[in-house]
This record gives sequence, structure tokens and C-alpha cells, in this order.
Amino acid sequence: MHFISLMAGAALAGALSFCVGAAAEAPHPAAVDPLGSPRWGDLQRAFFSAVPVVFDDRVKVAAPAVAENPQSVPVAVDAGALTGVEEVLVLADFNPIVKVLRFVPGRARASLAFRLKLQQSSPIRAAARTADGVWHLGGTRVTTTGGGCTRPSAGTGSPRWQQRLNEVSARRWPRADGGERIRVQVIHPMDTGLADGIPVFHLETLELADRDGQRLMVIEPFEPVAENPLFTIEAAVGVLDQRPLRIAGRDNNGNSLQAEVAP
Amino acid sequence: MRFPEILPFKPRAVAIALTAVLSLPAAAVTNVGWDDIANDDQTTADVLSYGLGLKAQRHSPLATISTGNVANLVPAWSFSFGGEKQRGQEGQALIKDGVIYITASYSRMFAIDARTGKRLWEYNHRLPDDIRPCCDVVNRGPAIYGDKVFFGTLDAAMVALDRATGKVVWKKKFGDHKVGYTMTGAPFIVKDSTSGKVLLVHGSSGDEFGVVGWLFARDPDTGEEVWARPLVEGHMGRLNGRDSTTTGDAKAPSWPNDPTAPTGKVEAWSHGGGAPWQTASFDVATNTIIIGAGNPAPWNTWKRTAPGDDPRNWDSLFTSGQAYVDAATGELKGFFQHTPNDAWDFSGNNSLVLFEYQDPKSGKQINATAHADRNGFFFVTDRDQLAAGAGYPNKPTALIGAWPFVDGITWASGFDLATGRPIEQGNRPPAPKDGVDKGDTVFVSPPFLGGTNWQPMSYSPQTGLFYIPGNHWAMDYWSEHLTYKAGSAYLGQGFRIKRLFDDHVGILRAIDPLTGTIAWEHKEQFPLWAGTLTTAGGLLFTGTSDGFVKAFDAKNGHELWKFQTGSGVVSVPVTWEMDGEQYVGIQSGYGGAVPLWGGDMAELTKQVTQGGSMWVFKLPRQVAAN
Repeated sequence: MHFISLMAGAALAGALSFCVGAAAEAPHPAAVDPLGSPRWGDLQRAFFSAVPVVFDDRVKVAAPAVAENPQSVPVAVDAGALTGVEEVLVLADFNPIVKVLRFVPGRARASLAFRLKLQQSSPIRAAARTADGVWHLGGTRVTTTGGGCTRPSAGTGSPRWQQRLNEVSARRWPRADGGERIRVQVIHPMDTGLADGIPVFHLETLELADRDGQRLMVIEPFEPVAENPLFTIEAAVGVLDQRPLRIAGRDNNGNSLQAEVAP
Repeated sequence: MRFPEILPFKPRAVAIALTAVLSLPAAAVTNVGWDDIANDDQTTADVLSYGLGLKAQRHSPLATISTGNVANLVPAWSFSFGGEKQRGQEGQALIKDGVIYITASYSRMFAIDARTGKRLWEYNHRLPDDIRPCCDVVNRGPAIYGDKVFFGTLDAAMVALDRATGKVVWKKKFGDHKVGYTMTGAPFIVKDSTSGKVLLVHGSSGDEFGVVGWLFARDPDTGEEVWARPLVEGHMGRLNGRDSTTTGDAKAPSWPNDPTAPTGKVEAWSHGGGAPWQTASFDVATNTIIIGAGNPAPWNTWKRTAPGDDPRNWDSLFTSGQAYVDAATGELKGFFQHTPNDAWDFSGNNSLVLFEYQDPKSGKQINATAHADRNGFFFVTDRDQLAAGAGYPNKPTALIGAWPFVDGITWASGFDLATGRPIEQGNRPPAPKDGVDKGDTVFVSPPFLGGTNWQPMSYSPQTGLFYIPGNHWAMDYWSEHLTYKAGSAYLGQGFRIKRLFDDHVGILRAIDPLTGTIAWEHKEQFPLWAGTLTTAGGLLFTGTSDGFVKAFDAKNGHELWKFQTGSGVVSVPVTWEMDGEQYVGIQSGYGGAVPLWGGDMAELTKQVTQGGSMWVFKLPRQVAAN
């Protein structure tokens, strides 16, 4: 674990200075980013200015080193080795829309597997914020062919999304440790707005809660999440009982979804 | 971009610095209340309703720009709606707090800084491929209330957006777009004086696909339906989520019976149209929503007439007329039918303008409704009688006067004021003879595109005249066999649009509502498809299909100013005051029904190039000061 930017009282000066282009307090980005990305400085300014950030091996991002389909790159984020994770932000450095997804783990493990779109080969990062306000960053690099964000979604060419928009398929499995794995898929084209003539159209919230309204997880997918998004969520032993889990969500056009998944 | 609520500390300077860096719009949104909307016709700093007031007179008390100085009008800025979506721009802008809210083709809405033309936000509705708009992918404008703006989408939904951000607050689908329900008209805000509740009122489109037209009232905060009223007689309405009453007589005596059908009525009754797809006006005194009802479906008159009988015995209520609906309950209180058993697609949707005048005989004030119909007649009706709500809704004797506002009307010679019914001229297209696909062709004027169409007329209390953007044209017209098929056009008619005169199609006319006298006229080579606006500066503004915005002297029709916008103008002008200056705004972008259905008009309109933009005009400062 290496601290790179723990700004405290001096943060005010730093925050003011970045708007005129000088960030004297920040260490040279390339020297400290384990992924060596030239975008790290930009990301830090955009998402983590004036807040403590550490690169932390306990935040795992698993993805194929080479992904053949840039419109659907499988990624598994796991910050479950940390305690007290309050939110997780997933970023793709070289995407035109950097912010991929945010989730609040709630009672679930601070982990989420899903698929995303990559415009070009890029680092993919997960930033997990713990209760003390520190962001813990982990990441990996994925090599892929280009264009995942600017091509029309595959579903756009067929009437399927129109007929089945926001249809939910979900299933729960028992895990060997006594916990549960939940997979949820939603039919949605997840258009980025960057393909010619196709407006931005994406699922923006998906909430899983138990019958008592206790949140298992809240997911906020952004434009780069792959179409017909598929999420895998892990719940530790004792978190869920035998009652159905409620799923609710909405996209940026105000189309809502409601579903229940029994054990 | 970030989540300020989780910052470990929040120095104020950081937030300020971020605002500067990211140039976030610092839009100051003040809530629009009912009083603001009720007084919209008097307030000059904003435009808060379709029609510039509840009476839809489209008159502004602004007089800075006048007949004396309008020749100096220059563009302040222009904003492109952009993209590959340059089709008809038929919207009317709303303006509040220096922000213009305007809808564009393909179910889009933009918020634009009224001073600079800078884009503040854009909402771009994701449309399915199987939408069924009959007459171009247009939208006619938003409604505004509180901190939200509202508009209808082509996939038959109503959407509420946050005025500050353009984010969706709620969306309500009101019909199945696959069978033909759609939405192009601007919604309207009214206040029900019984409950004290403000309501968002909107209709549906889709008569050409055999829908049943509905009028809806919703809670603007949540989108929840309060009531819904079908406009085909005998269909059941809703109030607070439950069946309320049937519209008119439950047995629907104005539609033929068919004992072999499960409904007991002819097929057309189940798909009877009447869609109130344009925007209502509102009579505060009687708590009445006044809105035009669309054409009956199918267009074919024989499908709505008992076999062997005279169509004039089967009125196809409540279609092709003006409807008076109780804001509290959604009950149909009154109805005047412009075209009984409409055989020509003379949809009654055109604007209904409320006005008052002194009866020359009795000296009493008459509360009236004015309407220039597709069928070529200008109607003045007794609003109080129609809003009274007693007895059967259909009240043909509420007619005060009906005069032709275009030349060459073939279907009727006039209206019998004693019965309130048209004096028909035998112009109904005959049914196909046995063993033949098509009936004999008849020549009809005006054609289904109307003596005027959706483009709203305006009234000037200064001149006492109505200003109708009309057209002179005609059609060859014949009947065809048909059966209803969900999602397919449901017309049963064939047609071809023709010229009526060599030198013009568009005919802008000023008409006196007391006498029906045409005070002046102005001819245009191209069809007129833009609304009109009057001002206390003695002006009339409108646009032309060949791209001009024009200003006329409202007294005599002299053309005082024009400006070429680069594409056809088929929208509705507005005017407002900002920083002591008067502005005029209108959209350019050619489209609408004419180029799609136009026959002879296609040759004309193919000359018009595409575009899609908002234009704003004002006087140069030194001229305004003089």
C-alpha cells in the first residue's frame, strides 16, 4: 500500500491551484500510477481531487488481457478484502466516457462482475472508498480492438430491445461458503449517445433489496456498461434469507423496472 | 462527475473552483406557479403557455417593436438543433428566467440561454423504430410548471424533465405506439377550481391508424393520471383510476349498430378516432378545458353509416368538433361538431381561441370561442352555452356564426344557424360499386390538409381581427375498401392533392369574427404551415415554407419585414422582453405533413432545403432607444 496524495489542511490551496493548471502538491502521476497511464493525472483531478487516494493491491480488477469484443469486455471488481467499503467507482482511462459504473455495496460483498464497452485498449480501474474517506485503487490493463463506445449497440439492429426493454432475468445460487451469488440481467441497449443518430439511453439505477427494504446493493451504470447488462453480486452467509429479493431500476428516459428473484 | 456528499471536508472555495473549471450551468430556476400561467397573456418577461395565455389568443402586449421600427429587426443569435434529425420543426418555445425551452423533431427538447443562444441542456428521447407518426416526426412544444418542463414523445409517452438539468423526473406511457398512438401536440397546464389541483392536460394522436382518441389529466408532480376521457361516443372514461362515465350516450346512437359484432357496433366504433392531439385552451370562469377533437376513423364515411342510409344521419360523435371538458371530472360537458360524419378528414383539432365581444344587437358581452377549421369555415360559438354542462353534450345550436375563410369550398355552401348543421353540396365520395375496388372520384376543396391546419391562428384585441394562416388547394378523392388491421393506416380513402390557383397556395387572411368579413389577405407561393402571433406594436408575425420570417401590419396586411432563415418555417413565433428589449423567437426547419402527403405540393416543396434551428430577433439597441 503506497499513499500518494493524502491532502489535509493544504488541500484548499491545492484545489484552487488545479484550475489554473498547476498541481504542485501532487506527485508526478506517471511515477506513481502502477498502470503507468498518462491519463492518471486527469483522472485524479476529475474524480479524486482533494481527497486521499492510495493504490491498494487488495482492490482487484479481473479482466482478460486481450478482449476480442470491445462492446462487451467482462470485468470482475472485488474490493471485498477491505472492510467498510461505502462505494466503488469503476473507470476506463481511455474511454470517451471515463466513468463506467458506480456501486454502493450495502449488505453485499464489495464486489461486482459485469461487462463494459471499451473504445480502445485501456486501463480499467476500480476505486473503493472506505468509511475513513480514503479511496483505494486497483486496476488492470485490457488490450482490445477499437470502437466499442461509438458503434451502435447490437440490439439496435433488431426489434428485440423495443419489445423486451427492461426485462429482467435473475437467479440466485448457493455458494460453497453458505452465502449466495445473484446474477441479474436487464434487456437494455445501453446506448452511449456517441453512435451517429442514436441518443444516449442507459440504465442509470438498479437497486437490490430484501423484503424489509434493506439494500443489498445499489448499482449506477453509466453509458460504457455493455448492452443487456449482466451483473454478478455476492452475498455472505446470513445476509439473505429465503424470501424473494426485490430488484428495481430506471433508465435515463424514465423507463422503470421491477422484479423479484426467489432463492 | 463527483460525489460531493462523500468528501471528507468541503471547503467552499473548492466548490467554486470546480464550477469554474467544469463550466456547470449555474441556472437559477424559479418555480412557475399557477398565477404565473394564468397571467401569461399579460406578463411580457416570460412565455409560459402554448397560445401565450389560457385563451390561446397569441397576442403579446409588447409594443417596443412596432410597425414603425420592425424593418430594422435583426437576428440576435441562431441555434442549430443539429444531428441528422433535421425534419419539421413545429414547436412553440416557452421562456422563463432567461431560458428558452423548445422541443425539436424526433422527440427532443433543448434548454437554451435566451440571451446568448448557448445550449444549457438537451434531452434526446430514445425512440423505438416502430413508431407511427402519420405526418412527420414533429413536436409542437413543451408545457412548464414548478421546476419541470413536460413534452409528449412519438412513442406515446409524456415526459417530465427537471428544468435545471434536463434529467427525466417521470415518464408515463399513455398508449401503445405499435397500434398508432403517438404524441406531437404541446401539453397544457390548467387548475381545477373544484379541487384546487393543478393538472397537466394532454391528448393523443393516431386517428389515421384507427385509435380511439383520449384526453388525459395528470398530476404534474408525479405524472399519475387524474382522469381520462375518450372522445368516441359510448366509450368509458376514467376518474382516479376507476371507470367514470361513458362519453355521451352509452349506446352511442351516432354510430351504427352491427348485431353480428361482439361490441354490437360497427367495427369503426372500436377504432373511431377523435384524437384531441393539439393543445387545449382553458376557460377559468367555467372550469372548462376546450380542445379540438380529431377526425373520425376511418376517413371512409360509409364505414360509419348504416348500410343504405344517409351519412348525415350518423354524426360519428364526438369527432371533428370542439369539446368542452370539465377540469374536475373529465366529463364532456359540451360539444359543437364542425363536420358531422366527416368524410374528408376535416379533423377539428385546429386551435380554439377564447374571446369576448359586445353583441351588436343586445349590447351584451358574449363569451365566445373562435375556430378556423380544416373544412374551410371560421366558426364563432357560444362558449357559455357549451360549457354549461346541461343535458346531452352535442349542442349544434351553440353556433353563433360560420363563414368561409378560404375560396372554393365544395363540400358545403354554409351553415344553417337554426340547426347548427352544414348545408352539404353532395360532395361525399361514393362507396365503391359491387366488385370494384374504388369508388368514383370527386373533387374536394379544401382537401384533407385543410383550409388551415394545426398552425395556430391568433387574435388581436387591438384590431378585433383573427389572423388565419390558410391555404388554397384541393384534392381528387375516392373511397376504397378496408378492414382494420392493428398498426396499419385506417383510411379507406385515396387522394391526390392539387393546386387551386396558379399563383399561390398560402393565403394569410384577417377575418372579422362579428361579420365574417375578410379584412385583408396576403398570398404566398408556398403552403402556409406556421402559426401567427400578434403584438400591441400593431404587428403580425409568422413564417413561410420558403424560409422567411415575416412581419405584417396587423391592420392592413402590408409586409413590413422579412428574414430568410435557411430552411422552411413551419413553427410558431413567440415574443418576450429581456433586459428592456423585446425579442421575437421562431424555429426554422422544413417538414410536417405537406411534403409527405403533398401531391402537387411535392413539386413545390422539394425546393426547400433542410435545416433545424432556433432563431431569435431584436432591434439594434440604438434603434430601440429612438
